[in-house]
Amino acid sequence: MAVNPFEMAKKQIDIVAEVLDLDPNIHKFLKRVERSLIVSIPIMMDDGTVKIFEGYRVHHSTIRGPGKGGLRYSLGVNLDEVKALATWMTWKTSLLNLPLGGSKGGICVDPFKLSKKELERLTRRFTAEIINIIGPDIDIPAPDLNTNPQIMAWIMDTYSMQKGRTITGVVTGKPVEIGGSVGRADATGMGLYFVLQAMAEKLKLDLKSLKIVVQGFGNVGGSIADLLYKHGCKVIALSDISTGIYYEDGLDLEKLLAWAKQGNLLKDYKNDKYKLIGNDELLTLKCDVLIPAAIENQITEKNAEKIDCKIVLEGANGPTTPEADKILFKKEIYVVPDILANSGGVCVSYFEYVQDINSYFWKLDRINEELKRIIIEAFEETYKISEEKKIPLRTAAYIIAVSRIAKAIELRGIFP
Amino acid sequence: MIINPYESAKKKIDIAAELINLHPNTLEYLKKTERALVVSIPVMMDDGSLEIFEGFRVHHSTLRGPGKGGVRFSPFVTLDMMKALALLMTFKTALLGLPFGGSKGGIRVDTKKLSERELEALTRRYTMEIINMIGPDKDVAAPDMYTDSRTMAWMMDTYSMQKGRTIPGVVTGKPIEIGGSIGRIEAPGTGMIYILQHLCQKLNYNLKKMSVAIQGFGKVGSVVAKQLCNNSCNIIAISEEEGGIYSPDGLDIDTLIKWKQQGNLLKEYEGKNTSPITNDKLLSTECDVLIPAAVENQIYSKNADKIDCKIILEGANSPTTSQADKILEEKEIIVVPDILANSGGVCVSYFEYIQDMQSYFWKLDRVNQEMKSILIDTFEKIFEFSKKTDSSLRTAAYAISANRLAKAHELRGLFP
Repeated sequence: MAVNPFEMAKKQIDIVAEVLDLDPNIHKFLKRVERSLIVSIPIMMDDGTVKIFEGYRVHHSTIRGPGKGGLRYSLGVNLDEVKALATWMTWKTSLLNLPLGGSKGGICVDPFKLSKKELERLTRRFTAEIINIIGPDIDIPAPDLNTNPQIMAWIMDTYSMQKGRTITGVVTGKPVEIGGSVGRADATGMGLYFVLQAMAEKLKLDLKSLKIVVQGFGNVGGSIADLLYKHGCKVIALSDISTGIYYEDGLDLEKLLAWAKQGNLLKDYKNDKYKLIGNDELLTLKCDVLIPAAIENQITEKNAEKIDCKIVLEGANGPTTPEADKILFKKEIYVVPDILANSGGVCVSYFEYVQDINSYFWKLDRINEELKRIIIEAFEETYKISEEKKIPLRTAAYIIAVSRIAKAIELRGIFP
Repeated sequence: MIINPYESAKKKIDIAAELINLHPNTLEYLKKTERALVVSIPVMMDDGSLEIFEGFRVHHSTLRGPGKGGVRFSPFVTLDMMKALALLMTFKTALLGLPFGGSKGGIRVDTKKLSERELEALTRRYTMEIINMIGPDKDVAAPDMYTDSRTMAWMMDTYSMQKGRTIPGVVTGKPIEIGGSIGRIEAPGTGMIYILQHLCQKLNYNLKKMSVAIQGFGKVGSVVAKQLCNNSCNIIAISEEEGGIYSPDGLDIDTLIKWKQQGNLLKEYEGKNTSPITNDKLLSTECDVLIPAAVENQIYSKNADKIDCKIILEGANSPTTSQADKILEEKEIIVVPDILANSGGVCVSYFEYIQDMQSYFWKLDRVNQEMKSILIDTFEKIFEFSKKTDSSLRTAAYAISANRLAKAHELRGLFP
C-alpha cells in the first residue's frame, strides 16, 4: 500500500490540532499549500531531439518569511510528494524559529540518464520557468535528492543573468567560492552531534562511554560517524548499501572513511575482527544510541519491539513510522525526531542566506557556535514540553512548530 | 463516460498535426502546458468562519505574445479543464493572427452561495495570489462563466493598487468607464453575425429567408438572437437551461428579452402559435441554421444523426464532440467551429487591450469594422484551406493555427 505523503502530512496536522485545540480556521489554513507551480521544461537533448520534463515548485507557507526548501531530481517526484515535503519544511523552519517558511521543488527525471550538458540545460530552463516564485525575499531552494552545489551554481547564475546582477541569496548549498557557506556540507552531522550531546546530558549519560549504531554511510551517516569518532565515542556498528559491519569495541572510522572515499563498499573491507551483519540485525543491536541516517520507513511496527537502545536519533527524514513511534514511546526509548535532529542542514542554509544578503562571510567557528545555539534552544524547548505533557519529543516538536505558525496567521490576519 | 476536456483538446491537435505534417517537437510542445499555478484562496466569510477555495491560472503558450484567456468561477473548475481551455485560447488567438498566446484561470466555487462582499474578497485575494503570472505584458485576463465586468474591475483595481499605478491593460472586459471597450459585451454575438452573413453570401443563401434555432439565451445567445431578429431572420426556437420555446412563425426576441428581465422562464411564455420545447428537441429541430450557444458537448454521438440543418454555428465552446463531428461531416452539414465562430469576444478584448496600452479609445464603428475585417480574413483562409485539403472547417482552422505556432516555435528556438 503506497501512502500518499501529502495525506500523511495532513494527518500529522490533525493530530497536533487536536492536542492544541487549534482554531478550526487556522487548522484549515495549515492543511493547504499556498501555491503550486507546475511547469513544463523542454530541453534539447545532445542527439538533437527535444524532451519535455515536468517540474514543480510548491510554497506550503510563507507566513513567517520566504519559503525554504530543497530541489530534487528523481523519477519518484510528483505533486503530492512535493506538497508534503514543503509542509515538513514549514515545521522545520518554524521549530528552529528561523524567519523562513516552507517550500519544496523537483523535476520528474532520471538525472543519471542525462549528460552533464543536458542536466545544465534542464536546470537553467527550470530556473527560468519558476523565476517569479523564487528569490532571496520569496523562496530559496537548496540541494536535495540528486542535486548538488554545481546545480545550485547553475540556478544562481541563471537567476542572476535574468535579473541583470549577481544575486547569490536565491539558493543555498552553493560552492563556497560563489557565496556558499563554510560548514554547510557537514552541517547536518554537526547538528546531530549537538543534539545528541544535549540529550545525553539530560539523561545523565557519558557520551564517550555510549555504544552507538549508525545506519547509513552517506553524507549524513558518514559525517556523524566521523564526528563521533573524533570526539572519542564508540561506533560499534555501521552500514552502507552493501552491508552492515559490527565490532563490539568500536570501529576505526578513520580507516573506514578513507576506504569509502576511494569509492569502496563496506562489504569489501578486510578486518578479521569486524563481523558482517544484515540491516535487520543492525537496527536491533543492543546499544545506547541508534542513528538511522539512511532512508525513510526503517523502524516499523515489525521491528520496533526489538529495538534495544536508549535513544533513537533520526538522521534521515521519516525513518520511523507512526505505529513504531507508539511502540518506542511505550518502551521509554527517546526518539529525537527528524525535524529537530537533522535540521542542522537547513540551519546552516539559513546562515548562508544571511551571509549572502549581508555580503559578509563568517568563519567556521561562528557557524558551529550559532548552529549549536539555535539547535539547542529548539531542543530544550522540545524536551521541556515533552516532559511537562508526557508526550513524545516528536509531538512536542510539532506543537512548537504549529503554534508558532498559528500565532503568525492570527497576527497577520486574512488579506484583503 | 466522462470526457477529460484536456485529452479531447489534445486529440484535436493530433488531427490537425497529421494533416500538415507537424514536426514532432512542435507537436509535443503544443500538447504541453507552459505553466500552471494552483493557489489556495482563504476568504473570511460573513459569518466569521474561514473558507479556503482552490484557484488556478494556466498559461498554455506565451510563444506569440502575452497569454489571453478568461477567468471562470464555477464548482466544476478543475486543473485539466483549465489546461484544455487555455489550449483552446492559444489556437484561437493564433487563428486570428493576434499577438497573443493562450491562457485560462478560474476558481472552484459556487458564486450563488457567496455574498457580494465575499465575492469581492475572493476575487481580490485570487488576484493577489496570481499577481506574478498576470500583467499587460504577461497574461491578460477576461470574463468567462460567472464572472463579468464587475469582477474585472476588482481585478484591475487590486492589480493597480499593488503596482502603485493604474494599469487597466491587465484585464479586458472591464466597464467602459475604467478603460473597457465599447462593443465588447456584444462582440461574440456581433462576430457570429458577420461570419454567418459572409458564409451565406459564399453559399448563395439568403440570410433573411433562413430559419434559425438557438440553444442558449445568455451573453452570446441573446445578442445573436436579437441581431438576427433585427436582420429579419426567422428564429423558430430558442432555449435556456430550463427549456425553451418554439414557433414556426418566428419569435419576437425583444419581447422575450423583456419577458426574461421580468424574471420569467422562456418555456412559460405563451404567444401566438408558440409551444414549449426541450433542449434535446431544439437541437434536432428542422432549420437552416443551428446555433449551440450554451455549454460544451451538446451535439454528440447519440444525437448527431438527428441534427437537421444546413449550418451549425458554434457559439459555445466545444458544443460538438469529435465523434459527432464525423457524423455531421458525412451528412454534409457545415460546422463553423467555435475557435472561429465565437472569436469576436477575444478579438474585441484585443482591441480593448490596444486601447488601454495606447490610452486612446475608439468609436463603435471602428471596433466593429476592425473586428469584421479580422474575422472575414480568417474565415476566407480557413475556407480556402479546407477546400484545398478536403478537410472540415474545424480541422482547417486548427491546422492554420498549428502552422502559425510551429513557425513561431521554430523562429524562437529553444532557451537556453
